[in-house]
Amino acid sequence: MTVTSTIAAPPINAINNRARASYARGYSKTLSLMLIAPLVLLMGFGFLYPVGKLLIGSLFAPEFGLEQFRRLIRSPLYLTVLLRTFEIAFAVTIASLFIGYPIAFAMAKLPRRWAALTTVCVLIPLWTSTLVRSYAWIVLLQRKGVVNELLLNLGWITQPLRLIYTEGAVIMAMTHVLLPYMILPIFAAVHAIPKELGQAARNLGAGGTSAFWRIMLPLSLPGVFAGCLMTFILALGFYVTPALVGGPRTMLMATLIGQQTTETLDWAFAGALSTVLLAATLTFVIAFRKTLSLNRGFAGVA
Amino acid sequence: MRKHLKKCRNLTLTAAAVYAVLGSASVSAQEKLVIATTGGTLEQEMRTHFFDPFTKETGIQVVTVSGTGSENVARIKAMAQTGNVEWDLYQAGEIQAASELHRSMNEDMTEFCRAYQADKDLLPGACASSGVLSAYGTTLLAYNTRSFPAPGLKTWADFFDVRTFPGPRSMPNFNDPWRVMAAALLADGVKPDELFPLDVDRALANLDMIRPHISLWWKTGDQSTQGFRSGEYVAGEIWQTRASALKKEGQPLAWSQDQAFLVGDRWALIKKAPHRANAIKFLEYFLAHPQAQAKVCEALTCTPVRYSAGKTMNAEAQAASPISPEVFEKLIRPDAAWINANNQMLLERWNEWNQR
Repeated sequence: MTVTSTIAAPPINAINNRARASYARGYSKTLSLMLIAPLVLLMGFGFLYPVGKLLIGSLFAPEFGLEQFRRLIRSPLYLTVLLRTFEIAFAVTIASLFIGYPIAFAMAKLPRRWAALTTVCVLIPLWTSTLVRSYAWIVLLQRKGVVNELLLNLGWITQPLRLIYTEGAVIMAMTHVLLPYMILPIFAAVHAIPKELGQAARNLGAGGTSAFWRIMLPLSLPGVFAGCLMTFILALGFYVTPALVGGPRTMLMATLIGQQTTETLDWAFAGALSTVLLAATLTFVIAFRKTLSLNRGFAGVA
Repeated sequence: MRKHLKKCRNLTLTAAAVYAVLGSASVSAQEKLVIATTGGTLEQEMRTHFFDPFTKETGIQVVTVSGTGSENVARIKAMAQTGNVEWDLYQAGEIQAASELHRSMNEDMTEFCRAYQADKDLLPGACASSGVLSAYGTTLLAYNTRSFPAPGLKTWADFFDVRTFPGPRSMPNFNDPWRVMAAALLADGVKPDELFPLDVDRALANLDMIRPHISLWWKTGDQSTQGFRSGEYVAGEIWQTRASALKKEGQPLAWSQDQAFLVGDRWALIKKAPHRANAIKFLEYFLAHPQAQAKVCEALTCTPVRYSAGKTMNAEAQAASPISPEVFEKLIRPDAAWINANNQMLLERWNEWNQR
């Protein structure tokens, strides 16, 4: 049995590879360039140019030098906030993973009708404005909100709890907003695993749990990593939700950058803060991918 | 016959098309004026009482663009930097209007104000180099009358006295920390005329004590209203406009105007404004219509720039606005020059304190 599967595997890969190669060959260089040109132009004008200008601006105000960056190090505030931003993003990623994985798995495995329903439940929040979802959390968590009223009526508490405007509320609301970005890549990965692999494992005597831990989970890891990376990066730059649901203590890098761009209008310093956040994010992403590619035995991602 | 009809239809279509083109040309050739606003009720009221009547009188179309106050300023800064100014007028906070940056982006209004120097009906300083005052608003102490029946809270010292007046509090946190620090200092016994320059250390030390009692640091006006309705706090430092709105709704709310902070909004004329002449016309129109000023301020509970306007407001609005001289004198006026000079320091200390 093992022998047949190993023999059967390479041809499939080969076919896949050939198909991919011929696709790539199918488009001439000019055509490929033309096809990506609109995106490149859009990214260039709408993203690279203004961001680049902001970043360069941080080096030239008042004159060329690292003054803005020195100012950033002078007070412990900015590095504390950077660290906190990473902490919160990390917590959100972990929470999304633990909530998101079972949902993604269910979406891929449930009978079609139920899977469709679950997908709708995941996608509708994704299409709803972040602002609306953040306000919904306020309604739930405020002093006389749904949660507090319920707990009071049940007699579990005598004084309303302080739920909103806390770090916990920010993590919860951000997890809610970012959950689809975790679920969808995992769903894609789980969905792509051939059903036969699970059946084969069971056939070879693995129990349900064992088949999950040894077959499904490792094979779905690329999706998990993609989801984690996406959630983490999005969480690092979050602005609206922490501003609405968090108190002044839960200050993130985006809040600081917002203050400098719109309140003090010190764009050079805002540029410096953005550069630091961008550099930290890139370092993290590269380190993450390096670790994964070194760890090839774990899963063939990156 | 049918052919003829068709021809006829074609002709009318062509005529319609030509007419449409000409029509649109005449619209674009029509005089206009672009005003950046903060949207919401302010824009609605301004449209009803100023923009539309102004268009009727002069034929100048008023086009509005809306965004939050600070977003607008950021966009104007960007326009000024790229030399591509599309807007003419906007309302700037009085403190911001006194800043170096404001002067670099907007016209000096001294020349315009010369004509109004002798006008005794205008509030003092209403027309100044930094802009033409649109209206004054206050930030004051508002409280729930169910939690604190008469006589209620009077001063910031009462607000900070959580033993006599227990209950959750609310204070603003919209990147403008002087208001909070000033309240803390007044509560600590600093005399109003010795308030500025702010003693930041002393203010933060006093805020340390009240911090556990603050259940809502509001960022937007809506948060402060919603927080009051839902009982998130029972005493707060909030905008007068929001307090009046809550009272109109029938909320059990009262306020104290003692030691309220007075901050105005000023019309600023952007440098190289594309419709400068029309903007000037609008400012003249604005100052010349106290009745309309009164109507806007009745709706928003603000203090209009003309004494005569204040007197024509209805009794309710007059009672809510700090227009009577004895109240007006007692209001706390921020030292805009000092705040602008120390803006970054204040914000940094404030952020640090929040992280502590």
